[in-house]
Amino acid sequence: MGDYTIAELMAVCLSREIRDGDRVLQGLYSPLPMIACLLAKSFHAPNMVYFNTADVIDPQPREVPFSTAEPALQERAVAYIPLWQTFDLAQQGKLDLIFLGGAQVDKYGNTNLSAIGPYEKPKVRLPAGAASAHLCAIMDTVIWVPRHNARVLVERVDFITGQGYLTGGNARGRAGIPKGGPQKVVTNLGVLDFEPESKAMRLVSIHPGVTVKEVKENTGFDLLIPETVGETPPPSAEELEFIRTIDPHGVRELEFH
Amino acid sequence: MEEKLLSLQEAVSQYIHEGDVVAVGGVGRNRSPMALVREIIRQGKKNLHIVGREKGMDFDMLIGAGCVRKASFALVSMEEFGLAMNFRRKAQEGEIELDEHACNSVITSIRAAAMGLPYLPLRGMLGSDVLKVSKSLKEIECPFTGEKLVAVKAIKPDVTIIHAHQADKYGNIRLQGSPFEDILKAWAADRAIVTVEEIIDNEEIRSQPHLTSIPYIYVTAVVHVPQGAWPTSCDSYYDSDRDHVMEYAQAIKNPEGFQAYLEKYVFSGRS
Repeated sequence: MGDYTIAELMAVCLSREIRDGDRVLQGLYSPLPMIACLLAKSFHAPNMVYFNTADVIDPQPREVPFSTAEPALQERAVAYIPLWQTFDLAQQGKLDLIFLGGAQVDKYGNTNLSAIGPYEKPKVRLPAGAASAHLCAIMDTVIWVPRHNARVLVERVDFITGQGYLTGGNARGRAGIPKGGPQKVVTNLGVLDFEPESKAMRLVSIHPGVTVKEVKENTGFDLLIPETVGETPPPSAEELEFIRTIDPHGVRELEFH
Repeated sequence: MEEKLLSLQEAVSQYIHEGDVVAVGGVGRNRSPMALVREIIRQGKKNLHIVGREKGMDFDMLIGAGCVRKASFALVSMEEFGLAMNFRRKAQEGEIELDEHACNSVITSIRAAAMGLPYLPLRGMLGSDVLKVSKSLKEIECPFTGEKLVAVKAIKPDVTIIHAHQADKYGNIRLQGSPFEDILKAWAADRAIVTVEEIIDNEEIRSQPHLTSIPYIYVTAVVHVPQGAWPTSCDSYYDSDRDHVMEYAQAIKNPEGFQAYLEKYVFSGRS
């Protein structure tokens, strides 16, 4: 790998999922999505609209804070907008993308942030999914996974907090969900998407220095591997400089310690 | 307008009762009403049903101190410092009832109460197990279009607790920066207790009424507590005290550490 950290590469991968003009929401404890939004707006997507849990749109912070709802993330914003109004927009179909995490992510992109083990008597009670259960049913999502291993990428989540493609195929439609769903999964090993028919997870690219074998060994289900798997393009010098300038204290590394 | 200035001790003893539904202001480690949380623990209030969206130390402390019978929430986390361990332990031991939500469903439950309604419809949540296990959410069909929606049961707070920036002695409240759901929570509740950084003159309120976030008609008690959100942030007054939040996250790794924390910072420490 070149002269960058995996956190920096993942932030850049997430930013590449933002299209110019998209309205994107960044949630709580979302350091990489926060950096990805700021990156996208400064580089390839100047017309994206950046909503965040600090209740503002389009802030221009000098430095990103450790907690992604802190006042520093309101700096030079154009307006305050309480999150409940942002959710109103989402219900109108006027929010395009949200980045979400998961303690478990399964083959069909369902995420679990609620409980490991039986829900009523869990082995580990997790924090819960914040906006996931609501927004995953009405819009596109991108999932980020700092630790790609077989305990995180599992055949079937213990509990569906955030809806992926449920049991695959047209299961979302049968559940009454007209649109949306996970578009990509960005992990510390590579970038994945979902095969259009079965909606099963598929490898798109491996990060520099990672092998397909390594990805397979660290995935708890049979991952679809296309004939050609590309290599994730590394961050540009300009992107790296931008990241390091707005994040001098290493907020991007918080999930990798 | 009547004067509503009280001490922390008076406000909590007079207006928070055993078994109350308590909506808690702030989000993450921002503008949580921590001085009120500490006073509730000192007074040993029990069987509370606490309500909030994305919560951290405030919920974890109240739960760890044994004040809570039920929590309505979309997230309880110490963010980069890991799991909220009191919440985790009490939930795993079945000692608290969990009313798990998504952010917008818990907000909608408050909005319903603020509108005087028993429920509100929401678009989203279909296919999630959160909907399946919930007693507060039910799949419904729109009577006009037939669309599948979710009915969110109202949560009517007996009392809402908020930390704000300024108020006059009558309870006209000014919030700066992110309002989060604090205004909705005040609208929805039967009573609201608000701690503030500063008490300002009623003439100042009247000179700029557009700055009043919550008028006195929603407010039961005002308590002057500078730094009342500490160690969480209060926009434009102070940032969160990250070192202290980390100390708390370390302390809660076991119940003994949490007890020592309470002794040091709640029972014998600052208000």
